[in-house]
Amino acid sequence: MQIAPILAALKKHRMATFLIAMEIALACAVLCNALYLVVERVRLSHVETGVDDDRLVAISLAGVDDAQAVDLGPRLRQKLSSIPNVESVAVANATPFGPQAGEAGFRIDPNDPVYRIQAHFYLGDAGFAKTLGLRLVSGRWFTADEYAPVDGFLPKASSLLVDADYASKLWPGQNPLGKPVLVTNLTFRVVGVVARMVRPNPSPFAATNSFITPALAGKGMASVYLLRVAPEKAQDVFARATAMITRDEPSVILDATASGPLTQLRDAYFANTRSMAIMMVGVIAALLLVSALGIVGLASFWVQQRRQQIGIRRAIGATRRDILHYFQIENFLIVGGGIVVGMVLAYVLSAVLMKLYELPLLPAYYLPYGALILWLLGQLAVLGPARRAAAVPPVVATRNA
Amino acid sequence: MLKMTHLSKVYRTEVVETYALRDFNIDVNEGEFVAVTGPSGSGKTTFLTIAGLLETFTGGTYHLDGVEVSKLDDNARSRIRNEKIGFIFQAFNLIPDLNVFDNVEVPLRYRGMKAAERKQRIMESLERVGLASRAKHYPAELSGGQQQRVAIARALAGSPRLLLADEPTGNLDTQMARGVMELLEEIHREGATIVMVTHDPELAARAQRNVHVIDGQVVDLAEDPRFHAQVQAGRVNI
Repeated sequence: MQIAPILAALKKHRMATFLIAMEIALACAVLCNALYLVVERVRLSHVETGVDDDRLVAISLAGVDDAQAVDLGPRLRQKLSSIPNVESVAVANATPFGPQAGEAGFRIDPNDPVYRIQAHFYLGDAGFAKTLGLRLVSGRWFTADEYAPVDGFLPKASSLLVDADYASKLWPGQNPLGKPVLVTNLTFRVVGVVARMVRPNPSPFAATNSFITPALAGKGMASVYLLRVAPEKAQDVFARATAMITRDEPSVILDATASGPLTQLRDAYFANTRSMAIMMVGVIAALLLVSALGIVGLASFWVQQRRQQIGIRRAIGATRRDILHYFQIENFLIVGGGIVVGMVLAYVLSAVLMKLYELPLLPAYYLPYGALILWLLGQLAVLGPARRAAAVPPVVATRNA
Repeated sequence: MLKMTHLSKVYRTEVVETYALRDFNIDVNEGEFVAVTGPSGSGKTTFLTIAGLLETFTGGTYHLDGVEVSKLDDNARSRIRNEKIGFIFQAFNLIPDLNVFDNVEVPLRYRGMKAAERKQRIMESLERVGLASRAKHYPAELSGGQQQRVAIARALAGSPRLLLADEPTGNLDTQMARGVMELLEEIHREGATIVMVTHDPELAARAQRNVHVIDGQVVDLAEDPRFHAQVQAGRVNI
């Protein structure tokens, strides 16, 4: 291997080497973090909701005032239940992939005065769990006497259900049953753990931080109706439901963006995520292209500049392969130096993102992926100039520069 | 050692064929010190590049150390250049980015030699040219004469069978040129075969044998009127 003399030669071109290594370092830092975000977004678009997506239809109403809500909730639930192919109806405050309605700060330590954590509180009536198809993994469902009217934005209830994954984050290694959750002046206790309950607006790093509290339909909870329908009937039921509401409830406004078969709401919700991921892939591609062009530019310049030197090396015994390897190893070393710095930068960038956007720290396994991509990119970019260098004939050595 | 028979080198363009060498014959024996002389454009550098396998030729045969080289592929030619030939160029042709030690090491690395042996050979050849103390210097920090000595050390480090020198003192002042020439003579006395291209008759006179090239052919000096003119001007020692 010729590593030592290549390093020695690079020392004589410190500035150019430093600049290209820094370009790689920046590319590495951005690439690792961007890859992380893209992968997490793609993963999110396949998020499991914990509910029966394809058998649910959401009806969301806008501008329902409290006076209207008192009897609208029970009445509309009744009417929606009578639509053919509707198996059950739940009244709630929010639907997955709809607007969040119960985001609140809370604390789990009664002695800690600060509300450190935020989660989404689903409010649901007695049909909520059955309609959505939730699965209980421990504890119990709500009892009939636990359903209370909504006061403010939460019911004066004393119990709640929690998503299993979220429970394990809140109380790692502990049984969540019976644990307190304190919101404003209310204290809830966990009575059951459901296998999964996605929050209305799942994000890459907060998909299931949600609680379910028992509430009575009426004041404060008459805007969202979830319909469990027979298989393949979601579209038909949704059409009938909207027709019924238009006909029978002229005073309410259907929120079209938050109404429809849940699969459609899901698609609409992730359309944004997908376009974001595509845009980031575009940014990554542009970044890699710029880095590659930088390498091609510098390598081409160096090949041109070292033409006679290459001729001399050929004259004193280097084969074409030796020359090719020289430029490949040189590129490997420069890119490698950039990658080492880039890995540190990637963590610094990740720490900044973590502060600004509450993202978790970049997992370490993205670093070798980023390094591999950049090394391959470097080798690909240098191949053309290196081949041109290898084609320099030895007789060039005799031509004075 | 080096034998060319009816060798020709033609440069072709779409409209014209130019003979750089034509029916070129030369035979250099092992241990000889031969000076190839001739005016500018006579073909002596072309001869040297072909002799050193830096270029291919168009016709005829060339045997180097008993091997007919025209059939060799690029890799085999590289290997022969590396193992059997040592080059000394007019412009020294050191690699400016590498220090003296690393410059001498270059051909040995291409040979795949082990580090310990490389180091021993490098130091031996640098001592031979009197520059062992400058091993860590870069070419730009040396005088022209010293640079040429480093180039000679590089050529000698691989123990070549043949040393090819192209105007080795052409870029040096008289004193440095004398030093380099004395070094070449000393190397020759130790048994090396040296072929030196020069247009300097004084330098050529110090070789064992002169081969004169005119218009791409080896000629008898007695037939070259320019040589006689130089003799009359007292510039050639016979």
